[in-house]
Amino acid sequence: MPIQILLIASLAVAVMLTWKRARERVIRIHEAVLWSAVWLIAAIVILLPNTTTTIANLLGVGRGVDLVLYASVVALFFLVFKLFITVDGLEKKLTDLVRRDALRDLDKHERS
Amino acid sequence: MQSIAVLPAWNEAPRVWSAVRAVLPFADRVIVVDDGSTDDTAAQAALAGATVIRHALNRGQGAALKTGSIAALRLGADIIVHVDADGQHDPAMIPELLKPILDDKADVVFGSRFLGKEPTGMPWVRKAYFHAARLFNTFAVGIPNTVTDPQSGARAMNRHAAEILDFRQDGPAHCSEILRLATRADIRWAEVPVHVRYTKDTLAKGQSFGAAFRILWELLIRGTEK
Repeated sequence: MPIQILLIASLAVAVMLTWKRARERVIRIHEAVLWSAVWLIAAIVILLPNTTTTIANLLGVGRGVDLVLYASVVALFFLVFKLFITVDGLEKKLTDLVRRDALRDLDKHERS
Repeated sequence: MQSIAVLPAWNEAPRVWSAVRAVLPFADRVIVVDDGSTDDTAAQAALAGATVIRHALNRGQGAALKTGSIAALRLGADIIVHVDADGQHDPAMIPELLKPILDDKADVVFGSRFLGKEPTGMPWVRKAYFHAARLFNTFAVGIPNTVTDPQSGARAMNRHAAEILDFRQDGPAHCSEILRLATRADIRWAEVPVHVRYTKDTLAKGQSFGAAFRILWELLIRGTEK
């Protein structure tokens, strides 16, 4: 099926990029291995869609596609939440920086 | 006893001069925290006789109040008063806010819009919103429901309380946060009735319902962090 060819091709690119970045030491080796595992699992799911159905049935979910969908929603939720926390931390740091700068001006002002 | 009033101001150039002038008779010193304004706010405030501190970027009312309070402590304040710079607070109430502290009956005093003195021109939707906010404060944030005004922006505190009330909400959620901290810390708190004027100007700058949901979100995300 064309969709399988397309997805496998992009996965191949992903694997290549992952190891290119690992060689450039942008990511660590164990991170590259982890990502490769993710791509491998994706490849298995794409080439043998029935494997997800088998796992889904084990978990009591009817169709494999549904299981993948549920898992993605949960994964995305965690990712968004993590991003919120990160942004919140950055906002706090920014406020601290702006405050320190403002108060330094006050000290200067008071001395003069 | 040196009292210092802190006024956070963001793009309040047309109003900040008269706001500072109105507060000066009731405080020994006025600090205006210009919260990253793009207009003439800082110059107008200085012209009116305030000590001006500038945030390089807009960080929100809570952040500005916190910066101003730290500055007031550094300048040796015995009492710190928080007032809005848009002129919705009648500065004549400041002595009433200070009285329980001067009488050594409270460490922090909140001005309440719902203790007897009816606000002028407050739309009923806003009243309903405040009652909903009060319910939320009681059940989700854990502020005793004996507190009548959930979003009071007028407050006074002594040095001891100012050092303890380490609020971290940058946005408007700091009101609830300060109430939570004050009612849970080992300090004496009190509410006194204050009168608030709602005009077209202050309503336009006031909190919309979208902002109300932002407050809820911030309180849920950050309010219980500590």
